[in-house]
Amino acid sequence: MLKPGRTFRGGYEFKNFNGQARPVVVENQIPDLVTIPLKQGFGTELKSMVKKGDAVFAGQTIARDDKVVSSPIHSSVNGVVEEVKRINYFKRQTAMVIIRTTNASKEIPRIEGYSLDWARLSNEKIEELIYLSGVSSLDREGIPTRFKSSIIPPEEVKHLIVHGVGSEPYNISLDLLLKDKNLLNFLEGVKILKRIMPHSKVHLGLNAKKKNIIEQVTKLTSQLEWLDLYPLEPKYPQGYDEMLVPTILNQNFPYGYSAANIGVVILNIQAVLGVYEAVCEGKPFIERVIAICGPSIKDNIHIKVRVGTSLKDILAKRIKTESPARVVLNSLLTGFQLNDINLPIDRTFSHIIAIPEKREREFLSFMRPGKTRDSYTRAFLAEMLPWVKRVPDTNKHGEERPCVSCGFCERACPVKIIPHLLAKHVQRNLIDETIMNYGIFNCIECGLCSYVCPSKISLMKIIKEGQDKLIMQGCDSTQCILPYFNLKGIEEYRGVTRL
Amino acid sequence: MAEFSARIIFFERPKGVPSEAEGRSREKTFIMRIIKNVINNMNGLMQKNKYLKTFKPVLNAMDEFFFGTDKVTTLPHIVDNMDIKRLMSFVIIALLPVTIASIYFWGLRVLLVIMVSYAFGGLAEVCFAIFRKKEIHEGFLVTGLIFPLILPPSVPLWVVAVGITFGVIFGKEVFGGTGRNIFNPAIAGRVFLTIAFPNIMTMHWQMPFNKGLGGFIHFQNTVDAITTATPLVMLKNQGVITPYLNLMFGQSAGCIGETFRIGIILGGLFLIVMRIVDWRLPLAYLATVVIFPYLGNHLIHMQFALGPFQILSGGLLLGAFFMATDPVTSPFTKPGRWIAGFLLGFLTVLIRRLSGYVEGVMFSILLINAFTPLIDTMVLKVRYKKK
Repeated sequence: MLKPGRTFRGGYEFKNFNGQARPVVVENQIPDLVTIPLKQGFGTELKSMVKKGDAVFAGQTIARDDKVVSSPIHSSVNGVVEEVKRINYFKRQTAMVIIRTTNASKEIPRIEGYSLDWARLSNEKIEELIYLSGVSSLDREGIPTRFKSSIIPPEEVKHLIVHGVGSEPYNISLDLLLKDKNLLNFLEGVKILKRIMPHSKVHLGLNAKKKNIIEQVTKLTSQLEWLDLYPLEPKYPQGYDEMLVPTILNQNFPYGYSAANIGVVILNIQAVLGVYEAVCEGKPFIERVIAICGPSIKDNIHIKVRVGTSLKDILAKRIKTESPARVVLNSLLTGFQLNDINLPIDRTFSHIIAIPEKREREFLSFMRPGKTRDSYTRAFLAEMLPWVKRVPDTNKHGEERPCVSCGFCERACPVKIIPHLLAKHVQRNLIDETIMNYGIFNCIECGLCSYVCPSKISLMKIIKEGQDKLIMQGCDSTQCILPYFNLKGIEEYRGVTRL
Repeated sequence: MAEFSARIIFFERPKGVPSEAEGRSREKTFIMRIIKNVINNMNGLMQKNKYLKTFKPVLNAMDEFFFGTDKVTTLPHIVDNMDIKRLMSFVIIALLPVTIASIYFWGLRVLLVIMVSYAFGGLAEVCFAIFRKKEIHEGFLVTGLIFPLILPPSVPLWVVAVGITFGVIFGKEVFGGTGRNIFNPAIAGRVFLTIAFPNIMTMHWQMPFNKGLGGFIHFQNTVDAITTATPLVMLKNQGVITPYLNLMFGQSAGCIGETFRIGIILGGLFLIVMRIVDWRLPLAYLATVVIFPYLGNHLIHMQFALGPFQILSGGLLLGAFFMATDPVTSPFTKPGRWIAGFLLGFLTVLIRRLSGYVEGVMFSILLINAFTPLIDTMVLKVRYKKK
């Protein structure tokens, strides 16, 4: 059922960024060498079941452990295991299986037992297919199955939120993901998920600007009384779990924990499509559509790429070489900076963004009209020229200055805290219960405060620092959360995130 | 020092690799090169001379002013293009119509007053920056322009210098500089002058030029200056209400920048539309000034001037849009802004009617500035009540 549009207070809509990926998907070549991390998405790191010299095929399970919270990992090519070693992967030593491709065939052997007529399959079989395909490790807390792929069992799920809001500066194209048959597949996927989570209510949150998609989905789902459709303002950080829960469910979020702790599972569209492909087509999740965005890319498209392909294989021919670029994973506000181009991509990658690393100084920079400049204020020409694309770069655009309490950070903050107040407390080393009371642990680290600050103060970093100091003093964030929520699966959640 | 020169070198790109930015700003390169050379030479001089070295903040400020920054972000990877320099320039842009109109009304001497204000305000700022070994902040660019606008047109230049120096030092620097001041420096300076030199600050008013090119070709309205009183004084002493249209378009006596009220309104709205100034405080202020006299007249039989006259007289509009909204000295919480706006309106009307002074706006802003931390604390206490 179509519900009225929803939004939240604060936030900021990133409009018109140059280098949005066109809704075209190109299949990337099968790489010669893949590096497969043994921790992908939600779950603990697994032990390799293969060793040096073993021959593997695409889709073969190379790591699996039903006893811990995890999902199986697959080889993504046909080849021979060259090495199993630990590599520094996103600040964490992660075991990797390195496989040299021997047969670059695009065929992927299917998982047994899949059926296009999924209604006939038993719940157990469906869950097994989802688990075996590896889809169940996607997103913040995975898809619950009876194989411990998430921290709660599927029966305990009260709400399932599937979202395609696109609130980041660069987003994967919704039109592409839900093109033609994909839309039907997507809805089948939602139905499958509803089947394995019988006590759940399904909420679909889609970008309110994509009128045609909302119209189509409304038509197709009008019969389903367990499904609600919400058009959501594409305002950053609407795509965050912390914002989806309050906007859609009108519930408080247990900041610092995951949505699964309150019985909510939040998935994005690609995960649901993965569920459909696993159950109805038996495809292991070893391919992924990634949006290649940003002005430092020659041609902004989507690519379909095997898990384990190195960044070099993806970017070498696509990135502009005239000027230095910064490559960022998934989000320009919070994403990791990808410095090592030998690192592989895994299941969780959805965007690779390259923007110019602009160190050069600009003459009278602050007096320029700013035809291509984005700003929270309306003080640039770009605000009046909606047809001109805005070009982001990594320059700070100004010197750091003391806070003038302009209040931009407070207005932009989606979780109703006052970043500059907290930052002042932390900088003066006034770290006590007061700042806890001011909600320092509610910070979801979306980075908007640092983005909008005209004094160029790294508010997010300072707030994080304050949180760390508070925890060092023995004030735990749990004090703010545990008394007000009935949380499930806390031990398991800690087990996964604290590793 | 090494870091400084490295920054300069970084600006020079290897030959034959023109970037987009260079293509766009080619016409400016000549000026750029001159400025860069000047800064480089001065930098060299400073490195040799121990005494000159103390002036490094001035050079740094110039360098930053002209060439922007070369620092890059960490996380988030992109940041807003807005910075304090542009923020302050927009306030100055919003004040430009008023400034130009004031030159027309009061003669070219206004320019001299502004220059003196900038010179001495800047001097105080620079002295403190050197003394503290910190960078020079852009705040005085706005203070230096607002301050002359709230002085009487015939103010002697030495009074301007004394006022702005006092304002910057005791309104801002003694509290720790930009961002830490409790009082608006311009208001602090103005209040000091009013109390120290009441004769100069409150007695000599003149009617503005209103014919032909007016002040654009005259230095000062001396020969046929008609000494008169401001609309507020006229109301207080003689009960004469100046026509609204005259007030709106500047045909009344008053401070340099407060009489061209249509320009002030446009400038204020410009800042609000640009999202640089929050609309709550000015709205609350103006609304109270309209409503309170009305209620007062009906409930306590006190003869307050009516709202529209209150708004269009004195420095109320300039105060409401440009001084009460100074982010540093006004409450940062939204309810706090409503409260401050309401209190400001209340105090202004009361002071104008009941006290011997007519400078209600100035005193109320000064008072509310002092109460700002308290208002914010109260709002926070209510908002973050312990559960």
